Amino acid sequence: MHSIRTALLALCVAAAAHAQAPAGGEIKVGGIFDLTGITSDVGKPFAQGVRDGVSWTNDNGGINGKKIRLVDVDYGYKIPEAVAAYKRMVGDDKVIMINGWGTGDTEGLKAQVNQDKIPYLSASFSGHLTDPSKTPYNFFVAPSYSDQLRAWLHWVKDDWKDKSRNPKVAFFYGDNAYGKAPIEAGRRYSKEIGVDLVDEQIVPGAFQDATTQLLNMKQKGADYAYINVTTTGVSTILRDAKKLGLATKFGSNPYGFSEALPLVAKEAAEGVTGVMPHVPFGEKVPGMTRLMDFHQKNHPQDTHDALYVRGWTYVLVWTEALKRADKAKALTGEGVKASLETLKDFDLGGLTEPVTYTPTDHRPSTRTPIYQVKGGKLVKVAEYDMPRKPEWLGL
Amino acid sequence: MRSGEFHTSYRADMAIFDTARARHVLAVFLVVLFAVPLVGSSYWLDVLNRAAIAVIAATGLNILTGFTGQISLGNAAFLAIGAYSTAYLAAHGVPFVVVIPAAGILTALAGMVFGVPSLRLKGLYLAMATLAAHFIVEFTVTHWDSVTGGVNGTSVPAPSVFGFVLANDRALAFLILPVCILHLWFAKNLFRTRVGKAFVAIRDQDISAEVMGVQVFRFKVLAFGVSSFYVGVAGSLLAYHARIISPENFPLSLAIDQLGMIIIGGLGSVLGSILGAVFLTLLPEVLRLLTSALSGQFPALVQLFAPLKLGVFGITIVLFLIFEPDGLAARWRRIRNYFRLYPFSY
Amino acid sequence: MEFFLQVLLNGLVVGSIYSLVALGFVIIFKSSGILNFAQGEFLLLGAYVFLAISSAHAPIGAALLLTFAFSAVLGIVLERLVLRPLIGEPIISVIMVTLGLSSVLRAVVQGIWGTDTRPLPSVFSLDPIQLGPLPIARGYLYSAGCVAVLLVVLTLFFKYARPGIAMRATADSQQVALSMGISVRRIFALSWSIAAVVSAVGGILLATMRGGVDGSLAILGLKVLPAVIVGGLDSIGGAILGGLLIGVLENLSGGYLDPVFGGGVKEVAPFVALVLILMVRPYGLFGKVRIERV
Repeated sequence: MHSIRTALLALCVAAAAHAQAPAGGEIKVGGIFDLTGITSDVGKPFAQGVRDGVSWTNDNGGINGKKIRLVDVDYGYKIPEAVAAYKRMVGDDKVIMINGWGTGDTEGLKAQVNQDKIPYLSASFSGHLTDPSKTPYNFFVAPSYSDQLRAWLHWVKDDWKDKSRNPKVAFFYGDNAYGKAPIEAGRRYSKEIGVDLVDEQIVPGAFQDATTQLLNMKQKGADYAYINVTTTGVSTILRDAKKLGLATKFGSNPYGFSEALPLVAKEAAEGVTGVMPHVPFGEKVPGMTRLMDFHQKNHPQDTHDALYVRGWTYVLVWTEALKRADKAKALTGEGVKASLETLKDFDLGGLTEPVTYTPTDHRPSTRTPIYQVKGGKLVKVAEYDMPRKPEWLGL
Repeated sequence: MRSGEFHTSYRADMAIFDTARARHVLAVFLVVLFAVPLVGSSYWLDVLNRAAIAVIAATGLNILTGFTGQISLGNAAFLAIGAYSTAYLAAHGVPFVVVIPAAGILTALAGMVFGVPSLRLKGLYLAMATLAAHFIVEFTVTHWDSVTGGVNGTSVPAPSVFGFVLANDRALAFLILPVCILHLWFAKNLFRTRVGKAFVAIRDQDISAEVMGVQVFRFKVLAFGVSSFYVGVAGSLLAYHARIISPENFPLSLAIDQLGMIIIGGLGSVLGSILGAVFLTLLPEVLRLLTSALSGQFPALVQLFAPLKLGVFGITIVLFLIFEPDGLAARWRRIRNYFRLYPFSY
Repeated sequence: MEFFLQVLLNGLVVGSIYSLVALGFVIIFKSSGILNFAQGEFLLLGAYVFLAISSAHAPIGAALLLTFAFSAVLGIVLERLVLRPLIGEPIISVIMVTLGLSSVLRAVVQGIWGTDTRPLPSVFSLDPIQLGPLPIARGYLYSAGCVAVLLVVLTLFFKYARPGIAMRATADSQQVALSMGISVRRIFALSWSIAAVVSAVGGILLATMRGGVDGSLAILGLKVLPAVIVGGLDSIGGAILGGLLIGVLENLSGGYLDPVFGGGVKEVAPFVALVLILMVRPYGLFGKVRIERV
């Protein structure tokens, strides 16, 4: 009994001591990640990328000497938990910006971050977050999902060799905000470039079997299909399609397409195309040396993929903004937002396209590479640059 | 020093608080409770609000399952109905003093509809029917885009009274706490009335109750209605608190959590609902504090937090059911009686 | 027509796996009167253990046997530790205990293996076999074959084998069985371990068909509830038929109604069927009507 009491007391003291961590000379940044929820297959490597990027920054001079403290949390893709974590980070931990994750919670919190003036860089590339007149505090580091879908539709048009008719396309997407994000843009753009959208199939958040959806699509005779879920879902759809002997060519968004896909879907992934705004891990670009060095020094046994690279690029972007804000003596939410908007063609060493934000346009880049799985490896096959059309802002 | 109960009038016997001291303690507790929103940090106020909402919902569920014996797995569905009707009405400019009772009534009506199967089904089969009701409501909410906003959810404007907007947890606490206390008081009194005693009779042995003259079906449906009213009000407050609701706010695990609350707290007891709801709302918070304190030494803990939460919840339920099947309320009563009669507790 | 046949076929194959899991439910309910909400987690654990053992480069046969042994032990242990103390408690406690158990098992799986999809070594090639005009995946055929064999074995077991007959006797009346010399405790343990093994088989089949193991396999536990109720909680034949019916219903509604409603009907259709059957024939197609006496 006595020993249990002392143990409990020690625990409380430890908790209290931890709570009073040193605050001076430290910049607090919040991190909301999905490590255990329905998108954790892509959420975990992203979170690791962010954490490693922060470690590397702290080891290499920090933000003009100040260290970054990443207050990170796993919200399991449950929006209420994200909201609670947000309240905690802003109210108690007093973070000045947040590196978030999912579309559902980012779109849910956008009014709140606007009110609290907290820059929110999320891994959601939803086109709804690109218009600063509506969402001034939201940013992301990639072309929007809508631009990505447009780029892929462009590839379809180029890949289609039959001149007698238009190619027929189907969309597969999840029954949630993330799944639906680019669909309206995709519908409109298909009409614009002369691609026939013949079918839209919805899959639930987590599913085992996509056979009925694929059979319905088969009836409509789609030649190509774009899948907007995550790697696990893409793999299920590809395998079911192969089992049904379908000839449809599939494409996926960047959260369904990475080095992990051929591993999980195996032979069903052959020939699948995907949008890849961030390069695969180990690609020969100048920015990769930093990542490879860190990887060698700290966890050489781990494998990494493009999601890990994505996390790193986020850190590179917002640490640059923090440095600029610090130089301007404006280390607050508004100051960081203003610094982000000074980034023009900010070079990320080839890890992804250079980033530009302006006070009227939060689309960082519009060039989208298309990769394809050939022999189990990811090979770049095309690249499309979407024009920065004003009517596409916020769509 | 008391040495047992000795009442000299019916009134005294039926009283909720049988000693002056109990009344004084309650008064002090209420004063402290209302002081918390004035001084607490915004995160803990959020926890307080969530706990109070859980108390209302758990009380509602307890009325149905603990007092009337009708097992219901549909609580999450009723919360959703309450929340979405609030979102809809509030978006049309109805003031919150009307919205909250209206949401309660709408949910009560829905509850009575779902209570109709209870005429023919009991126990396990009724639980299955309410489970099916959950999925049907979930489907409706996800697909009725025009009213519910579908999967993107819908936002709820903050409640405002006389131009004063209750925009943060501090202000909301002054709405949620009184509503919670009001509902608890009503529940406690419900079981001193004829209706409440009919509910309990149905739980104990419904065939005998029917024979004795209790119109079982009518009271079963009424139990569903009253319980759903409570859950609807809880859902309404949840909507005002969360400000954005989507179908993901109401998964089946929410219903299971609330069943867990009343089991841990004690079936058939209003105090049990309070204790269980507060316990299960605080459990993840305590867990979080522990993991963040220990994550310095064991960095892998951050990733384990979600399964830990799930596992601790499951183990708590299992352990309580094996070792304390009557719940925290019964344990509390036993402790209180021990001290009440100390040192003559035998 | 081809569309209809394809959907029907898919439904039958998926339904056969539902039948397996439904069997697990029914076996436990028949002998001990408990509806085990943790059945989906038995499936999940079976799949993960199989994954772990076969990733350690064990031959498939050994991996299967070890997984079955693990599931059998798991069933016995859970029955002893958790369900035994709850004999005689009201049904809500029993339901909650199995729900609590399911949370614990899911948490254990998540804690040990995380939530990513772990690829399983490929057992079947993905190329379909042509059955007339319809392509069927090899994996589906093998799965349906396994299930059929298992169902026949279990039916024979319950009809002719001594432990099987003893289980039926215990289900009918525990007191009479006890007085006839049947060890009811051993019967409980046996029924839980059989149910766990049967679920593990279902989990392994499902995982090999999908090519990977991840946490969402446990959802099957909930999906099979309509199958169990439709068939009748205490009928083995009912479980088999119920599983097939629900599989077919799910796929038919997915194939024909999903385009109308924009998705999601596939998931909710079994539960609508559940409500209907509860209103019309609560004891299911083949269940025994319970007469309540005061």
